[in-house]
Amino acid sequence: MPKLLEHRGKLLLRNAGIATPEGRVVTTAGEARSTAEALGFPVAIKAQILAGKRGLGGGIAFANDASAAEAAARRLLGTSLYGWPITELLIETKSTIRSELYVAVISDTAARAPLMLVSTSGGVEIEEAAHAGAHTTVSAAVDMRRGAPVYWCLDLVRTLPLPEATLVALAAILARLYEVYRRHDCTLAEINPLAVTEGGLIALDARIAIDDDAVFRHPELDLERSQEVGDRSATALELAAAKIDENDHRGSAHFVQIDPDGSLAKAQGKISIGFDGIGTGVSMAVMDELVPLGFLPMNFCDTSGNPTGSKLYRITKAILAQPLIEGYVFASCLSSQQLDVTARGIIKAFKEIFAPHGGAPTIPCVFSFRGAWDDVALGLFHQHGLDAHPWVRVLGRDSTERELAQTFKELHERWRAARGVANA
Amino acid sequence: MSELAWNVFSGGSVSIDLDRCVACTTKACLSACNVPNLGSALKAGADGLPALAITPERAAQGGCIECLACDLACQSDGLGALTFSLPTPEVDAYLDALRAAGNAPGRGW
Repeated sequence: MPKLLEHRGKLLLRNAGIATPEGRVVTTAGEARSTAEALGFPVAIKAQILAGKRGLGGGIAFANDASAAEAAARRLLGTSLYGWPITELLIETKSTIRSELYVAVISDTAARAPLMLVSTSGGVEIEEAAHAGAHTTVSAAVDMRRGAPVYWCLDLVRTLPLPEATLVALAAILARLYEVYRRHDCTLAEINPLAVTEGGLIALDARIAIDDDAVFRHPELDLERSQEVGDRSATALELAAAKIDENDHRGSAHFVQIDPDGSLAKAQGKISIGFDGIGTGVSMAVMDELVPLGFLPMNFCDTSGNPTGSKLYRITKAILAQPLIEGYVFASCLSSQQLDVTARGIIKAFKEIFAPHGGAPTIPCVFSFRGAWDDVALGLFHQHGLDAHPWVRVLGRDSTERELAQTFKELHERWRAARGVANA
Repeated sequence: MSELAWNVFSGGSVSIDLDRCVACTTKACLSACNVPNLGSALKAGADGLPALAITPERAAQGGCIECLACDLACQSDGLGALTFSLPTPEVDAYLDALRAAGNAPGRGW
């Protein structure tokens, strides 16, 4: 899901009426110096990356004068933290903190509702504090029909051991945070820490994540859409593949790279392959069979929900564009999906991609068509000569996941032998 | 050259070189274009050549379901008069960037 950098998240908070420290984004050490001088000391210098625990990792520094600010910026810019390159810094006035709170609105898939969560132990080690039980936490599911008005938020937090004035201010911030969550279709709107200062409550950080399927509703956020890729930024190919699914509601083509650069496969002594499946369950089952045989899918892809042939054509091109893959596996579950349409998209892509080789795939490819119109799909592969190529095997509805994986392994071994490459 | 052309919903287009269709004995695209329970987007025109059974606007709204049946049928049983263009600019840009960086893209390209 798309996440916003801290400074962009804070802008949403400010627009909703939640106080944040005064600050500015810089990209050079010189800018950091002049910005710090303009803001007044002390300042915080914060790496703008989409990872948590920046403070613990050295991504946040403090400076009491211009030279220190410039030096800190010089030390951070151009480096990376948790694998994220640091190209931007947020220079902010440093707040004098009395205590830190944690507040969040999270999409709770179990409750099927937004979950509002408040803890009196905010800060960089909230998880550890939670395990130690060294805080007080309250939470409640928000009724989306009613929203989270201030009086409801006040009722939520009233048992926390905080001064009355802080509780009232906290309730007001929670109501505004919920508005940020709703207005921007968030899956997460989190402030950690929400600092208790002499001047009131101030959001010292902001973590905002937007629902993938709502990105198109927010052009103002200028987000690039990709499938959920976890705690890293989407790869160029994931962004490209997401475009295929972006404006076409007919079936899905969910593409995520498991091992984008092949480093995981290399570290585990496995062979990278391209993968496409109809149905996540069968995809998992096939992967479970492939991995022990020495293969690691470079990507996961789900083309279910009866996608068009054109969608299959496009996503197959994306899967086969991955460098380093030594094979391609396609597996369908026993679905009601019209597999002849699926097959046509794949055939068109293969004919085009391998046109320089007379349409013959140059890597081992195994296809498993099981479900509606699977006989037509097999017929199309035969009609277009794809099943006659030496590095292609096409299986029907009587095949299992294990047979599919074993067939691929045997084909891959022959392929390597023909190329004079030793098998593992 | 006479041409039958329409756009498709996902961002692409189909064009048929009707001059070439004159010599086609199978008109395989017409029998291939058959959406279960929904009918066809293609039909035989008065001259026996492929014609749209729906308006181009309807085709572009999804009336042509982009099953690619006409495309493959024309390739295998017709005279290759039909071109189903489905641009993938983002994937193409990815491949170009790979090549520019000196990295070979997926095998076969």
